[in-house]
Amino acid sequence: MEFPVATKTQHEQWTVENLVFRKYNLFEDLPHHAQTLMLELRRDEHIEYLMRGLRGLPASFSVLDANSRPWMCYWILHSLALLGELVDDELENNTIDFLSRCQDPNGGYGGGPGQMPHLATTYAAVNSLITLGGHKALSSINRRELYTFLRRMKQPSGGFRMHDAGEIDVRACYTAISVASVLNILDHELVDNVGSYILSCQTYEGGISGEPGSEAHGGYTFCGLATMILINEVNCLDLPRLIDWLVFRQGKECGFQGRTNKLVDGCYSFWQGGAFALLQRIPSVSEEQIVLPDVGHCTLDTSHTSTTSRISEVGNSSEGTSSQVDDTGGFRQEGLKVPFPVNYNDIGYDFINRSVEMKPLFHAIALQRYILLCTQAENGGLIDKPGKSRDFYHTCYCLSGLSICQHICSDADSPVLPRAVSGPYSNLLEPIHPLFNVVLDQYHEAREFFTTHRAPFNSEVLH
Amino acid sequence: MHGLPRRAPKPEEEEALAAKAKDLRALQSQLLSNHHSKVYTKEALDVSAKLLEKNPECYTAWNYRKLAVQHNLLAVQSDSDSDSGAIKAILDLELKVVVDALKQNYKSYGAWHHRKWVLSKGHCSLDYELKLLKKFQTADSRNFHAWNYRRFVAALLNRSEKEELDYTTEMIENNFSNYSAWHNRSVLLSSLLKKEAPGFFPKEKVLNEEYGIVQQAIFTDPDDQSGWFHYRWLLDQTVKMDAPLLASSWPAHGSNVILSRNRHLYDCSASLFDSFHSDSGTFPLVLYFNQAVKGVNSSTVAIESLFCTEDLDWKPLLQISSQFSQVWVTHIRFPEANSQYEEACAVEVSVGLSQGIVSSSGFDYSHLTRLAFKVCLSPVDTEPSKTQGRDKILWRDENFSLYQTGSEEPHKSLSIDDLIIHNVDKPTTSNWRAETIANEIAIFRELLSETSCKIGKLTLARLLTAYDVIQSQCANKMVNSEEVLELYADLLKLDPTHCQYYKDEHSLVFLQQLTSSKESLLKHCFSHKTLASSSIGNYTCLCLNKLSLTRMGSIEKLLWVQMLDLSHNELHSIEGLEAMQLLSCLNLSNNKLGSFTALAPLRMLKSLQVLDISYNEIGSDTIDKTRYLFSSPLCHTEEISWNKDENVNGCINLTNYWDAFLIFKSMSLTQLAILGNTIAGENFKSFLVKVVPTLEWLDGDKLH
Repeated sequence: MEFPVATKTQHEQWTVENLVFRKYNLFEDLPHHAQTLMLELRRDEHIEYLMRGLRGLPASFSVLDANSRPWMCYWILHSLALLGELVDDELENNTIDFLSRCQDPNGGYGGGPGQMPHLATTYAAVNSLITLGGHKALSSINRRELYTFLRRMKQPSGGFRMHDAGEIDVRACYTAISVASVLNILDHELVDNVGSYILSCQTYEGGISGEPGSEAHGGYTFCGLATMILINEVNCLDLPRLIDWLVFRQGKECGFQGRTNKLVDGCYSFWQGGAFALLQRIPSVSEEQIVLPDVGHCTLDTSHTSTTSRISEVGNSSEGTSSQVDDTGGFRQEGLKVPFPVNYNDIGYDFINRSVEMKPLFHAIALQRYILLCTQAENGGLIDKPGKSRDFYHTCYCLSGLSICQHICSDADSPVLPRAVSGPYSNLLEPIHPLFNVVLDQYHEAREFFTTHRAPFNSEVLH
Repeated sequence: MHGLPRRAPKPEEEEALAAKAKDLRALQSQLLSNHHSKVYTKEALDVSAKLLEKNPECYTAWNYRKLAVQHNLLAVQSDSDSDSGAIKAILDLELKVVVDALKQNYKSYGAWHHRKWVLSKGHCSLDYELKLLKKFQTADSRNFHAWNYRRFVAALLNRSEKEELDYTTEMIENNFSNYSAWHNRSVLLSSLLKKEAPGFFPKEKVLNEEYGIVQQAIFTDPDDQSGWFHYRWLLDQTVKMDAPLLASSWPAHGSNVILSRNRHLYDCSASLFDSFHSDSGTFPLVLYFNQAVKGVNSSTVAIESLFCTEDLDWKPLLQISSQFSQVWVTHIRFPEANSQYEEACAVEVSVGLSQGIVSSSGFDYSHLTRLAFKVCLSPVDTEPSKTQGRDKILWRDENFSLYQTGSEEPHKSLSIDDLIIHNVDKPTTSNWRAETIANEIAIFRELLSETSCKIGKLTLARLLTAYDVIQSQCANKMVNSEEVLELYADLLKLDPTHCQYYKDEHSLVFLQQLTSSKESLLKHCFSHKTLASSSIGNYTCLCLNKLSLTRMGSIEKLLWVQMLDLSHNELHSIEGLEAMQLLSCLNLSNNKLGSFTALAPLRMLKSLQVLDISYNEIGSDTIDKTRYLFSSPLCHTEEISWNKDENVNGCINLTNYWDAFLIFKSMSLTQLAILGNTIAGENFKSFLVKVVPTLEWLDGDKLH
């Protein structure tokens, strides 16, 4: 085999490195106050860009998004929420009405009114409504029908189809499980075999691919990992290999690439950075095995109801599981099965209340620098890498990644130290729930709403 | 979630876009109306085709077309005059629509999926698909939709994996940085090798060629990642043994084990590797495999002896997942004390007697291994006296003297080589391995003589270690360890950000070297002076203190150890220690253990009585930060059963010390030192006294 001296890939890589390092060198040479200025998150410009997008959304909009308008809603609303910006009542009402028109009578949300329901747009619509919050938004979701839609998408292999006769992949698993979990309708029927499908997508590199046989990829790795956590089977993944793959995705450009030897891209700040945030909170060995009252770190008062119910659940089932436990060493060996009848819907909630004691396994300050210096467009909005144009997708995921970095060392309810925030402290964004990627306050409101307003069928389905 | 617009419109384009959007909306509403009223005429189909050409993301339109195809196929099939040409025409039209859509966006999930759906109906010529793919893969060689589609088409075409492999060669020749091609290559090669496909057997020849290809990529530009990642995969294929093998056991083959119930035994004939004392009246049988296996049970492992007739219960010790473990243990009851078996009782263990032991990569244990050893009860055995207090064991230097292998060493003692099992591999295979690695070593030395690159040094260190491991299967020699240790020391300076990794590797190689000969091992074996009279078991202590170890290794050769001093190191994890089932005294003081969960392996050590974890960093973290970085994460999904009625919740603050509770509840320690840790305090000590009722000494103070 004869190789050329430098490949196309290498030329592209060098070009990007040049662009990025030019920015960094410029930054290094500046006096301190100018550096602070350069690191500033240009909130006003971003908000203006996003607001303009949101207002234009229901009316005429650019061409290609006609089938992903719930996505547009989510990217914009979530970005605004991260920036702490409220949407006025009229816009809010318009958005809720619009999303209601995307909701299929038989459950799920389509890419626009009249379109067939699709899992990805269902995820986007549900997350949008949670981000808006309030009774009107949350009660507009038809959970009973949504559940039947999810069951219809469920495949015997364990995976999900994106839509009727659509493709089966890891994205579909994540969007289905995430939506079901946050809406408090996740049950064993939906969870069954999802784990083995995801496992079949973990490659020898350690990351997770979109479908079996394919190449490990940042977006799918996040989706696969988050799904495995939500169904309580994360320990079945080969986590050392997964981490091994993940840590190599942050390069000298300081941002993340999506796959081995690809170019840096701002959106992976969330997909890969978010995966690290998930790993930090994976229950330790011991917590998995024994559920003790409030391990002493969560101080949220509201947690009592749920933890108590969980303990009594474990207590009740102890007779049932005693055959698996013995006095001399007590190994559990039933394969992929869950030891206790876990309430799947509590996993996401317990997860975020777990304290973070492990330092991040990636360079969070460096990633913030990449986002702030290289992905902020002049006139608002965020981008993939220098030289690219802004769009709502990259705005949403660059900001989500930035929030992850800023909060990576703090617990859900503790203040963020100034040294964790690159640039002025006013850069600080709202914290998110990393499993669902919605702003934490909005998550809590939704959790409260969906646990108190039980869908009528829930009592049967969940227990 | 990708594949959506990357470009925001420029202001001057907005007007044009608005017009386009209007046009698109018109098409879209026509489509939805056709869809809902199930209109599948040619005109209606044209509308959807136009829409999809402009906007391939419109998945509702794709599904509409699927319904239309089904509808029209049915009509054609019910028409008896029709030929297969009509069917083909319907499907060919679909393929055309897909191509037009992909031209607009070649990352469209819906378009690629529609194409798969059409092809799975049959009737289409598949040859065109490869041409099409080539076009797309030239335009974007990393497009994973195209790669997925390629695998789908190749399967439909029954295209050989060999042909697909050649295609990846072509792709790599065009751009050796294309990791998607390397990835597909490794998937295809693995499958071809596993099948022993024609031209892909023997494995040795194939892998040699692959080394040639990847070396060219690496040498062309050592800074490009793709080649290195592939090289690592290749090295793994070379070194790893497919079939699982037994690496070592305790008792070792050929050993003469002296068992005793009595702690106050002074038996000068007790030798280094084979004496054991236990209150429980059982001794462990430990099987240490070279990789994780499942299916170790009484039907796959047969035990023949006069005194052990019951079926034994096997337990995994070093689990890598819920079923697989590298180390398995069972407990065998002592022979009856005053029976006719007073003399040595022979035990023969046959591993792999019937099929069922399988490695995590799916290979069977196919190598029947027989282990034979003898056990005998110590002649001075008496019933243990429970009431008697025990003396405190001090780890002071003056209590130890170098272990003497003098005349008291029993004539039948084992050599260090007997501790590991020498599996006779097919000589061709092991020669090839050694030769290949030696060849690679030479090549990388050459590369490093020209440039100093970190990944090159790391690869050389890995190659040298691999070479030693392969050679050690014939002769237990670590000829390259010095050089490897230097390389890691070098890397530590060159690349301080990854120092923890290099330190860990350094520790492992150092321990391999230390355990490679009896001479080097005996330098670390000491006799405990005072223990000779108040014996807690074997009074020989393996002292691995003050060696800057960051992790423990070579445990397969240390299964016999009952007293171990690991103090004054930099251990942040004791992963692997759970295999040392005979351990009764363990000194971990002055290390960097940060949490009780890092001590989890201790829960498996049922003989452990004396533990020193003083002067660590316990309490500074609640979880073991290191566990994911090692080979066996979350492995110990052990459950502690405790009686809820036990008065634990009332008088003990479980909330604060749940992690400590999990560790100590399952142990019966008599002596513990915990001072010098963040957590150590009066509250914690009173907690310990309640949780560990067997405790007699705590931080040097007598309790009762």
